[in-house]
Amino acid sequence: MRFPKLAAIAALIPLALAGCAGAPADGGGSNEVTYWLWDANQLPAYQACADAFQSANPDTKVKIEQFGWADYWNKITTGLVAGTAPDVFTNHLNYFPTYASKNQLVPLDEFVQRDAVATDVYAEGLADLWVAQDGKRYGLPKDFDTVALFYNKKMLGDAGVAEADLTKLTWNPQDGGSYEKLIAHLTVDANGVRGDQPGFDKSKVAVHGLGLDENNGAGVGQQMWSMYALSTGWEYTDKNPWGTKFNYDDPKFQQTLGWFSGLIEKGYMPSLATARSGSSVNDGFGAGKYALSTNGSWMIGSYFGYDGVEAGVAPTPVGPSGKRATIFNGLADSIYTGTDNRDGAWKWVKYLASAECQKKVGEQAVVFPAIPEALAIAKDKFAAKGVDITAFTGAVDDGATHLYPITDHAPEIASLVGPAVDAVLSSQADPSSLTAINEQVNALFR
Amino acid sequence: MIARRGEGRVALLFLLPAGFGFVLFYAWPALQTFYLSFTDYSLLATPNWVGAQNYADAMSDRKFWNALLVTGEYVLINISVQTVVALLIAVLMHRLTKSSVVRGALLLPYLIANVVVALVWYTMLDAQLGIVNAMLTWVGIDPVAFFGETSTAIPTIALVNVWRHMGYTALLIFAGLQAIPTSVYEAAAIDGASEARVFRTITMPLLRPVLAMVLVLTVIGSFQIFDTVAVTTKGGPVDATRVIYFYIYEKAFQQFDFGYAAALCVVLFLILVGVALAQLKLLRAGSSDLD
Amino acid sequence: MTLARNGKPLWWQRIRWQKVLGWVVLGLLVLITLFPFYWMLRISLSDNRALAANAGSMLPADFTLGAFERVLGLSSLDEARKQGGSGASIDFWRYLWNSVLTSAVITAGQVLFSAMAAYAFARLRWRGREAVFFVFLTALMIPPIFTALPNFVLMRDLNLLNTYAAIILPFFFMTPFAVFFMRQFMLGISREVEEAARIDGAGHPRIFFRIILPMSRAPLMTLTLLAYITAWNEYFWPLLVGQGENVRVLTVALGVFRSQTPQGSPDWAGLMAATLLAALPVIALFVAFGRRIVDSIQFSGIK
Repeated sequence: MRFPKLAAIAALIPLALAGCAGAPADGGGSNEVTYWLWDANQLPAYQACADAFQSANPDTKVKIEQFGWADYWNKITTGLVAGTAPDVFTNHLNYFPTYASKNQLVPLDEFVQRDAVATDVYAEGLADLWVAQDGKRYGLPKDFDTVALFYNKKMLGDAGVAEADLTKLTWNPQDGGSYEKLIAHLTVDANGVRGDQPGFDKSKVAVHGLGLDENNGAGVGQQMWSMYALSTGWEYTDKNPWGTKFNYDDPKFQQTLGWFSGLIEKGYMPSLATARSGSSVNDGFGAGKYALSTNGSWMIGSYFGYDGVEAGVAPTPVGPSGKRATIFNGLADSIYTGTDNRDGAWKWVKYLASAECQKKVGEQAVVFPAIPEALAIAKDKFAAKGVDITAFTGAVDDGATHLYPITDHAPEIASLVGPAVDAVLSSQADPSSLTAINEQVNALFR
Repeated sequence: MIARRGEGRVALLFLLPAGFGFVLFYAWPALQTFYLSFTDYSLLATPNWVGAQNYADAMSDRKFWNALLVTGEYVLINISVQTVVALLIAVLMHRLTKSSVVRGALLLPYLIANVVVALVWYTMLDAQLGIVNAMLTWVGIDPVAFFGETSTAIPTIALVNVWRHMGYTALLIFAGLQAIPTSVYEAAAIDGASEARVFRTITMPLLRPVLAMVLVLTVIGSFQIFDTVAVTTKGGPVDATRVIYFYIYEKAFQQFDFGYAAALCVVLFLILVGVALAQLKLLRAGSSDLD
Repeated sequence: MTLARNGKPLWWQRIRWQKVLGWVVLGLLVLITLFPFYWMLRISLSDNRALAANAGSMLPADFTLGAFERVLGLSSLDEARKQGGSGASIDFWRYLWNSVLTSAVITAGQVLFSAMAAYAFARLRWRGREAVFFVFLTALMIPPIFTALPNFVLMRDLNLLNTYAAIILPFFFMTPFAVFFMRQFMLGISREVEEAARIDGAGHPRIFFRIILPMSRAPLMTLTLLAYITAWNEYFWPLLVGQGENVRVLTVALGVFRSQTPQGSPDWAGLMAATLLAALPVIALFVAFGRRIVDSIQFSGIK
C-alpha cells in the first residue's frame, strides 16, 4: 500500500529534524546561569557586567536573554508553570508579590547574611520594596525611577517663561496654583490665542499646555496624577508596603482627580479619547503638540531623542503639603526557586547588586543605578548627553519620594480603579464615584 | 447510490494522523481546561476542587456580561461587513479578472502579523498625528479619535480586522466560485441574464456550502478577537473594548485566576458550539445543490 | 462617426457599464488594501527620531535605509542608537531559513493529513460520521491560550524544547480549518468518477491519490498557500518553544523591534522594515507560483 508508507515517512520528518537540532538549550549545565531582562537598551550594560563577572568567576557562565516587555511576562509565567524559568530574572513590583507568595522566588536572607551583603548601600527605601509580606527578601535593587516634568524649551521661550521659573511652581487642587497658570499660558489655539487670553477657542487647540499619558493609569497613575495627589499629603494605603486599606474615598484624592479632569474641559490637556487614539504622549511631545509632559525617568531617552524638539526637564510642582511628590520605584533581580544552580545564581545576583556592576551600568546612562556612587557616574554621563537629571534625583535628596504602593491583589485593583478613573476623565462619572470603587477594592482584602 | 458497509475501517485509517493531532494538541488540553474550571488553580500552586463556584461567580460578574456584549457588537460589525465585502471582491474577481496580481494585492494584509496590523492602523488613525486624520483635515473634516472614543473604538477595531481578512475570506469564496461549472454561466449568458440575476439564481445557491463554511469559520474566529485589543486599546477606554477573550486573558495570566478563566472559557466554548450548530443547521452546510 | 438612435456614439453604447462599475469598485478596494503598505514603507525608510515631527507628511521623514540595515544586522550599535533603534543584533538569514523550513514542513503535513481526514468525512460512509466531524470542528472553539500551556508542558516532557519538532508538531497533523475546508470541497465532487474507478477495482488509497486529490487541486492550492502564510506568521507558539538561537524563526527574532519597555514606543522604523522584509519571501512565493495557481484552477474543471 502506498499511502501508509508515505504518511509514516511524513510523520517521521519532524522527529528526524528534532535530532538535528541538538540538545535543548534551556536549563543549561549546572555551572551556567541564565539571566533574563526586557529592555534591549540596557542589554549592552548588563553584558558588560556579565563579561566582568565571568573573568572573575571562570567556573560560572552567564547567559543573557532579552524579550520585549509584553512577551517577557508571558514567557516568565509559562516558564514558572513548566519549570523552565531562567535562574535569575529582572523583576517588577507588579509581579513580585504574587510570585513571592506562590513560592516561585528564592528568599535571599540566608545568602545576604552569609556573605554579609549590606542592604543599606542603596538609595533610601529601595531595598525595603523587595521584602515580601512574610518578612523575607526576594530581590536586591538594581536601579530606581522617579517622575518629573519634561518641557519644550522653544515653547517656553515663545511664551516668555524662564526655565528657572519651573522650579518655583506651586499647585493646589482648588485653582491649580501657578502650575495651572503656566499650563494655561502655554496652551495655544489654532488662531494663536493663548489659553489664558480672552477669545481662546478650546475646541481648536494647536498646542496643549500639558500632555495626557496614553496609558491607563490603573490604580496608581504613576506618571499621570500621582505627583499631584501625593503632594496633598494623600497616601494610597493605610501603610506601605503591604497596606490593606485604600484611600480612593479621600476627598483630597477626589478633588485632585476633579482638578485633573478639569484641565481637559478647559482645553489645556487633550481629551482622554485623543490621548488614547494611537500615539504615545512622548510622540505627541516630539511632534510639538504638548508644551509640558509629566513622565518617568525611564523615558529620558525618548524625550531627549526627538529631532526638531529641544527638551528640558524640571521637578514636579510643590503641592499643598509644602512639598513636591513623586513615586519612587525600582527594579531588582530575583532568583527562581526551580534553579539547579542556586549558588551560581546568587553569585550573579550579588554581583548585579554590587557597586562594581552598577557603575558599569551608570556608564551607559540609560537608567539610574540604585547605589549613590554609581548614580553619580550616571549623572555625569547623562550631563554629557545634555540631560540634567537633578529634576529626578532631587526628589530623592529632598525626601519627596513616595514608595510605589505594594499590596496584594494589585492586578484586580488595577482592573477596578483603571476604568473608574477613565470614566471620570471622560466626564462619564463624577470623582465621588471612586468612593464606591474604594469599597470594592477594600473588600478584596477581607 | 449503493451504500457500502465496512468503510468505517478505511475511514479510521484515513483519520489516523489528523485524529492523533486532534487528540494530543486539542482535545487533551481542552479536557484539562474543563477540569481546571472546577478548581481554584492559580497557575503557580496546585489546584483545589471548588465545584461549580467559578460558574456561579461568572453569572454574577458584571464585567463578564459586559465583555460578552462588547464581543457581540464586535462580531456583528466584523462579520456583516467582512462577508459582504469579501463576497463582492470574490464575485468581481470571478467575473472580471483572473489576474493573480489583483488577488495577490488583496491577500497582502493577511501576510502581516495581526499585532503589526493593529499597530500600523493605531498610528495611522491617531487623532493628532495620524495620517488618516491629516487627510480628513485636508478635506475639511474634524479629526476623529477612532480608537479613543468609547462609541467608535469597537467599530474601528472591527473594521481594522475586516481590512486584514477581507482578501483572505474573498479567496476562500473565490475558490468556491471556481468550483461552479462554467457551463452554467455560459447558459445564462446565452439567455441574456443580467449580472444581478446571475448572482441571485446561480452564484448564491451553488456557493452555499462554501459560504456556510466561511461563515462558520469567520464567526468563530471573530469571537476570539484578542491581539488587536491587546496592542491598541487594552480594553479601554473605560470597559468599551474589554472583549471576552481579552478579559479571560487578564484573569488567567495577569490576575492568576486561571480556574475562573477556565470556567469563562468553557462558557464561551458552549456559546460557540451553539452558534456553530445553529449556523450549520440554517445553512445546511453538509449538502450541496450540485448533487 | 456613426450615431445610434439616441444620439450617443456607438462606442459609448458598447461600454459595458456594469464592468466599468465593477473595475472602479475593485480598484478602490485594492487602493484601501495597499495604502497601509505604503505607509509602512514610508515609516521603514524614515529616521525613527524624525517621525514624530513629520507625522503629517506623505514622504519618509529624513530618508534613510538605516532601519533595513538594523534588521539585517548591518549597522553598528552606535549607528542603530543614533537612529532610535536598540542595537539588538539579528542573524537575519539564519532565522529566515528556520522560518522557511518549519513553515514548509508544517504545510506539507497539515495539507496531506487534513485532506485524508476530509476524505473520510466527505467521501466515506460510516456510522457517527457527522458527530465525529462536529467534534473535530469544536477544536476551532478552544482559545489557543488554553492549549498553549499544556502543549508547552508536553514539549518539555518530550524533551523537545528548542527543537524544530516542537515548533512544527502542533500544526503538523491537522488544523480544524484545513479539515473543514477540504471536506466542503470534497462534498461537491460528483460520485460518478469514483464509482467507475471502484468498479475497475481501485482501492481507497488509489481513489484518494489518483482521483480525489487531482480533482481538488484548486482548493488544495488555496489551502497550501493559506497554511503556509499562517505557519509563517505564527508568533506566540515558536516564542514559547523555539527561543534557541539555532531554531529561532523570523517572527520571534523580529520581536526585538517591538516595545522594549513598559511605556516605551517601539523602534517604529525598525519594526516596519522588519515586517516588510519578513513578508517579502511569502510575496515572492505568491508571485512565483501565482500564475501556476491560477492555471491549475482553470484546468481543474469540476464537472
